[in-house]
Amino acid sequence: MKSIIGLFLVLAVLVIVPAVDLAFAAGDEPGEYLDRRVIIWNLFFRMMTIAFVVGAVVSGTIIWQVWRFRESHPKAKPTPYEGTDW
Amino acid sequence: MVLELQKPRPIWQIMFSTHHTDVGLLYLILSIGFLFLGGALALIIRAELFLPGAQIIGDAMTFNRIFTVHGTTLIFLFILPFASSVGNYFVPIMIRYKDMAYPKLNALAFWMIPPGGALIWLGFADFSWYANPPYSIISAPGPAADMWIFGLKILGISSVLGAINFIVTILKCKHPDMSIGQVPLLAWSFLSSSLIILVAIPTFAAALLMLLTDRLGVTGFFNPAMGGDPIAYAHLFWFTFHPEVYVLVIPAIGMMYEIIPRFSRKPIHSYNSGIFAFVLLSIVGFSSWAHHMYATGMSFTEKTVFMVGTLAAVPASALHVFNFVATMWNGRIKFSTPMMWAVGGIALFFSAGAGGVANAAMPLDFTTHDTYWVVGHFHLFVMGTIAFGSFGFMYYMYPYVTGRMYNEALGKIHFIMSFIGTILVFFTQHVLGLYGMPRRVFDYPPIPEWIAMNQIASIGAMIIGVSMVIFLANIIHSAGKGKLADTDDPFGVGGKYYYPFEARNPSH
Repeated sequence: MKSIIGLFLVLAVLVIVPAVDLAFAAGDEPGEYLDRRVIIWNLFFRMMTIAFVVGAVVSGTIIWQVWRFRESHPKAKPTPYEGTDW
Repeated sequence: MVLELQKPRPIWQIMFSTHHTDVGLLYLILSIGFLFLGGALALIIRAELFLPGAQIIGDAMTFNRIFTVHGTTLIFLFILPFASSVGNYFVPIMIRYKDMAYPKLNALAFWMIPPGGALIWLGFADFSWYANPPYSIISAPGPAADMWIFGLKILGISSVLGAINFIVTILKCKHPDMSIGQVPLLAWSFLSSSLIILVAIPTFAAALLMLLTDRLGVTGFFNPAMGGDPIAYAHLFWFTFHPEVYVLVIPAIGMMYEIIPRFSRKPIHSYNSGIFAFVLLSIVGFSSWAHHMYATGMSFTEKTVFMVGTLAAVPASALHVFNFVATMWNGRIKFSTPMMWAVGGIALFFSAGAGGVANAAMPLDFTTHDTYWVVGHFHLFVMGTIAFGSFGFMYYMYPYVTGRMYNEALGKIHFIMSFIGTILVFFTQHVLGLYGMPRRVFDYPPIPEWIAMNQIASIGAMIIGVSMVIFLANIIHSAGKGKLADTDDPFGVGGKYYYPFEARNPSH
């Protein structure tokens, strides 16, 4: 789990910070406003892509594991914790 | 509390008790009562919108009153009191203390809710749960609006008292052998949400006072005619109520943390990441309030900050989901009713979160602002995640509260019908919003797509309504006639339950 947290932090640094930095670095002169909008849209599309890919994978995983790890599945076996006071 | 029904006591002994399970029972009964009252209003709203034109409600103002009280009731009088019920029952047991830290304060916090609820229901205000200024200060008819303000004031004080009690109980009364890093995640969820309440609610308390003095004509904080700014109210309101979303959702996730390992027959995969995600959600909850106000003329820089702040909640929410997935992995999952609700809640949590990502992006927000998309998104969170987690936990704690088992088949029917109904209502409302239908409207033009989608949503709502009747019949009938529960392991899944059989209702 620590590696997952680490991965998230790295993604945040790589994806969000440079884009926001660019957005803030832009001046307020006419024309540059449009550039900032493009940068934010770009950030949004990248994040949406990540969010929906991860979402699809996790949702698919949940559906599969609900089927696979149900107690009535032919391959279901007791967990190491059963019979203990965990 | 098995004790209550097996050794019946006069009702007044429970009502005037300060013991945590008695107060928990009172919270539970009150929250279920208001669930049905608020739910009935939802069905009236959906029946009205089944077709364009006036159907069963005479006028727009009555419609406004109904959806105002519907929202206020289900948020403040169902979800929050139900969470308090769970906290009262389980937090002292989990931290191994005899009661809450301040039992009398605990009872007082509960007994502030009925008068607060009565003020809201007897007033029946019409300005939405947001109390839109300047309408709320200039034109909203009194005394309904004033009663709503006083009702919310009382409920806010009750929340703060309850939060103080949970924080002190968890931090100061936990067993000396138990470090804060060993407190169960359900108790951690109450610690996190209570800290949010303490920081967030005072802002709304101030806003309510300003609203009241504006209505009295003494001040003009939010009155443009007196130089005030209604947008200032929006900031104060959402500074409280965006974090409040997390106050609602965090205990529901905590409940899932109790249910999912139990029925997977495994401990939680990563306890520390659960704590980390709770704390992270509590912090980032305060970095996103202005995403409700993109359309009010904020600068581009401000909007960017709040867009990124909003998206920061995604990793924290995802951590919880990953934790649940990893816990179920290699488990031997028993799909009893509580587990079905919990897994359904996770699935809908993901869908609601995806809608939230779209909402957070300002360009898309301008398209969806004040449309039915927002209604669908918000309700998918509140019903699909929070209420699903709560219903799962109602079934989970049922043997503990009554000493009897509910009817499992009816519980599963309740879940399946609610799941289908929730998808029909709230997914459809997302699409309806993209088709441009504004929210909070009594009537709409007879556009064929709008009519069809409203009818789908209304049918979904009726399915949920029928499932709730089944739920009510199940819990009432089973409380008296249900099979006696095996109080050591009511669900037959093993492990160590936090059921306080040793708590024998000591009198205070």
